[in-house]
Amino acid sequence: MSSTEIGESVEELTPKFVGARVKRREDQRLLTGQGAYVDDHHPPGLLQAAFLRSPYAHARIARLDTSAALTRPGVVAVLTSKDLVPLVKPVRAASKMREYKETSFPPLAVEKVRYVGEALAVVIAESRYLAEDALEWINVEYDPLPTVANAPTAAQPDAPLLHDEAGSNILLSREFARGDVDAALASAAVRVRDRFRFRRHATVCMENRGCLADYPAGTGELTLRSATQCPGLLRDALADLLDMPEHRIRVVAADVGGGFGAKSSLYPEEIVLCAVARRLKRPVKWISDRQEDLKTSTQAWDEIVDAELGLQADGTIIGLRADVTTDIGAYSIYPWTATLEPIQTISFLSGPYRMPHYRGRNRGVATCKAPMGPYRGVGRPVTTFVLESLMDRAARLLALDPAELRLKNYIRADEFPYKTPAGLVWDQASLTECMQKARDVLDADTTTRWRAQARAAGRWVGIGFATYIELTGVGSAIPVSPGMPIATGTEAAFLRIDPAGTVTATFSVAPQGQGHETALAQVVADALGVAFDSVRVICGDTALAPQGTGTYASRSAVLAGGAAIRAGQTLKEKALKIAGHMMESNPANLDIRDGQVFLRDKPERGLPFRAVAKTAYAGLRRLPKDMEPGLEVTRFYDPFFGTASSATHVAVVEVDTETYAVTIKRYIVVEDCGRIINPLIVEGQVRGGVAQGIGAALYEEVVYDDAGQLLTGSLVDYLVPTASELLPIEVHHIETPSPTTLGGFRGMGEGGTIGAPAAIANAVSDALSHLGIEINEIPITPEKLFRLVRAAEGTP
Amino acid sequence: MKPPPFAYHAPTHLDEALALLERYGDDAKVLAGGQSLMPLLNFRLSYPSALIDINRVAELSYLRQENGQVCIGALTRQRTIEFSELARRQLPLLHEATTLVGHLPIRTRGTIGGSLAHADPAAEYPTVALVLDAELVLQGPGGRRSIPAEEFFVSYLTTALAPNEIVTEIRFSPAPRTSGWAFEEVARRHGDFALVGVAGVIDTEGEQCRTARLAAAGAGPTPIRLRAAEDILVREGVTEQGIQRAAAKAAELVEPDSDIHASADFRRHLTEVLTRRAIQRARERGQEQRA
Repeated sequence: MSSTEIGESVEELTPKFVGARVKRREDQRLLTGQGAYVDDHHPPGLLQAAFLRSPYAHARIARLDTSAALTRPGVVAVLTSKDLVPLVKPVRAASKMREYKETSFPPLAVEKVRYVGEALAVVIAESRYLAEDALEWINVEYDPLPTVANAPTAAQPDAPLLHDEAGSNILLSREFARGDVDAALASAAVRVRDRFRFRRHATVCMENRGCLADYPAGTGELTLRSATQCPGLLRDALADLLDMPEHRIRVVAADVGGGFGAKSSLYPEEIVLCAVARRLKRPVKWISDRQEDLKTSTQAWDEIVDAELGLQADGTIIGLRADVTTDIGAYSIYPWTATLEPIQTISFLSGPYRMPHYRGRNRGVATCKAPMGPYRGVGRPVTTFVLESLMDRAARLLALDPAELRLKNYIRADEFPYKTPAGLVWDQASLTECMQKARDVLDADTTTRWRAQARAAGRWVGIGFATYIELTGVGSAIPVSPGMPIATGTEAAFLRIDPAGTVTATFSVAPQGQGHETALAQVVADALGVAFDSVRVICGDTALAPQGTGTYASRSAVLAGGAAIRAGQTLKEKALKIAGHMMESNPANLDIRDGQVFLRDKPERGLPFRAVAKTAYAGLRRLPKDMEPGLEVTRFYDPFFGTASSATHVAVVEVDTETYAVTIKRYIVVEDCGRIINPLIVEGQVRGGVAQGIGAALYEEVVYDDAGQLLTGSLVDYLVPTASELLPIEVHHIETPSPTTLGGFRGMGEGGTIGAPAAIANAVSDALSHLGIEINEIPITPEKLFRLVRAAEGTP
Repeated sequence: MKPPPFAYHAPTHLDEALALLERYGDDAKVLAGGQSLMPLLNFRLSYPSALIDINRVAELSYLRQENGQVCIGALTRQRTIEFSELARRQLPLLHEATTLVGHLPIRTRGTIGGSLAHADPAAEYPTVALVLDAELVLQGPGGRRSIPAEEFFVSYLTTALAPNEIVTEIRFSPAPRTSGWAFEEVARRHGDFALVGVAGVIDTEGEQCRTARLAAAGAGPTPIRLRAAEDILVREGVTEQGIQRAAAKAAELVEPDSDIHASADFRRHLTEVLTRRAIQRARERGQEQRA
């Protein structure tokens, strides 16, 4: 960061903090164990909850008797769905989308259970130990029902029904189309097709889910502390379900240890704890253990994609058609519904390319698995994997350089704004620039020579590219989950400047480690012209925050950042009017920098910002005529369409010719997330996202057996990459401010995870190209490669 | 994930621990490093009525040379072995295998006796004990007995240890100075249980193989000694063909299962690959030792 001398033009004066590598101020707290997570709160009289969870994937509850459990030591209450009836309304994730079948998701199972881990009852006791001991005294008899084990069988007409009220396990079907794809593909010079499999994914956060509900009889106010991404959204939903006024409910998500989408939905445990606390008038806590988290947190992806891409002989894409089946698990979650992941797959499948003809169809099918929810990337990791794999196959068939084939087909700069076949609008993206820079960073010629030499020595090495474009900072034009009844298009900033001149900026977005306290303070400091240290950011408390929902869908920088700019500008304007009054100068000739108000043409003349702030509260005699005292404002921002983010990822891999272990030798990301608020944070987000993408590509897979039993119920079996499996990830930026958002910011929290599975899969296919192996399934495990190589070599 | 209720005892002497074990019989579990037992308790897969915590039994924690053998107290932590100069010099295979055991916090608590008594066939220590022909000293109310590793491991998580006995010591006879060693394993991630591991100690001169000891981890209900493969090496020498044939034989000798991480076929394949790699690396090390 270069400091600019006072006296230069205003354009050069701002921004000062936006764009700077400011160290994350929350890290001192978070990295030294001083964060305060849900489990760090111990109010007096605290009770603990433990849930009885179904060992069956699908069963009728023949008998559920809690009387013995109630007599166990330390037990205060035992509740089942019957007890909840007078306390909470049933949860139904509604959507206006056609061909979506709405179903009920009871917080505690009613009549039957639909996946292993579904809660049937809750024990409230003086300690978690006693609560878990008492669980063993609940008498349950199950009548097992046929397991609805996977999406293809569940979609059969004669499959056993999971939700009788839906009349089918297919809870939604949808199609997006443009042009005449069948005719286009029939005329294509080259067609590539395959069945792709993107396996089911779990979300593993450092902090498991957990919540603490408290309802002191004296105030009649319900406080829920929860490890959630969406305190505002929860508050609104709980008010409805509990039939309480919203202003009597406070949801707090102070420090939250990771979310990645899995903490953005409303969960049964949150509802149950609120109901229990309200009934018992005592605080109750539930902390998910790792097994519960793997069994019950929303899972992701799990798609089968039949896709076919057609190109002309010169490599020009003419059309893509795809049929996608998504396994949405046992329940449609609130508020996103079961449509979220399926719809986004067919929305994004056309990728960063000109796509004249397109048809994407999707079915979302219910099965006996934990409910499907959003996970970093939603829909885009699988679509990028599918399309980018097809692009590489086409390049091989046409004997074209895979990068050249992409460059030929990217949406060109003069074609923005570009409307996609699914109706999304890309405002602008730097597709060509990202690819060109990625090739430069890779030093493509040298790397290709290295590959040839290594192959000559018998090594299996490969290079893989992947480009994606995604929609971020979505406004009200396109809801995050189309058709759902809640609004996700706006966020707000509440700025208060106190008489000492320090600034408190409060937001309804709520971070789980993304660095909002730093990034939003940078934006506010620049918007006001005050020092970074004089701005304090508060997130994640509905009692303090303006109306909003939370942090998800790569929206916080765009929506909260935009609201912060607006609020900052409003207060700056007012502060300058007061300063002009104090200095007897025209406010138009004044500016603020480093906490100092000064005359633009005479910068040595000025006064401290804090003097202005003090005056703002000093009463009418000190203020301009008709001005209202105070320096506080809440401003909202709706970016309407949202803005595109894009990147090219490059992976260089080596496959062990005997153990089939995949080693990533280099990983390069060149991304454009618009104006960068803080490069340190952007690079951290990219690296974290790539780490999760590497997990998806090589390690992570949720496995259920045919009886619906979860085989990956601990971190011994559900493999997340650790530091030992990762490598230094090279991150480079193309910085093109978004033409459509305030501040020019684009969202970038998810991109790392979107590009990585595709780039790695393409690199592995390249490494095994001499065997004719094309990767069509992730994760790419040594076992799968062993089988593919055996098949390719003709060994039984 | 809270353990079911249990009585807790923390004796400070072995006699005391043995008396408690005698009192509870089958109903008690001995708690050493807790790296396998505590998860079993927290998952409520095990309901012992008592835990006998031997962490305060100081007499079980040592590493010393005695009559040409290296004797290691059962309560000795893996981390201690990792940093023991005696282990590194006299038992380089054990030392190398230790670096493959889990992660730092696991090795800091985990003990050699606990690992052997738990007898997970994919763990490193049982395979090392088997390949080095270690003797386990077991103590019960009737006194001490010693048992070769090959007889100790009975089946998956099952040993010859009687319910009222405790493993107190493991005795290793160091391999001849001229021999080389290697522990080769494939795990999905650093620190995971091996899909397959192969331990080897061989003594070669030129292409001649004087002695060979090989064993596989993760390839059957117990660690498996690969005697027929050893015989091939001794008979045919460490020629390319001898090594290849020994490795192929190893793949025949193992009895792996399939699970979500690897099929039995793949584990057999890995046994062959890792046996070859272990022999080659052990041979190279032996040559370095002599040089």
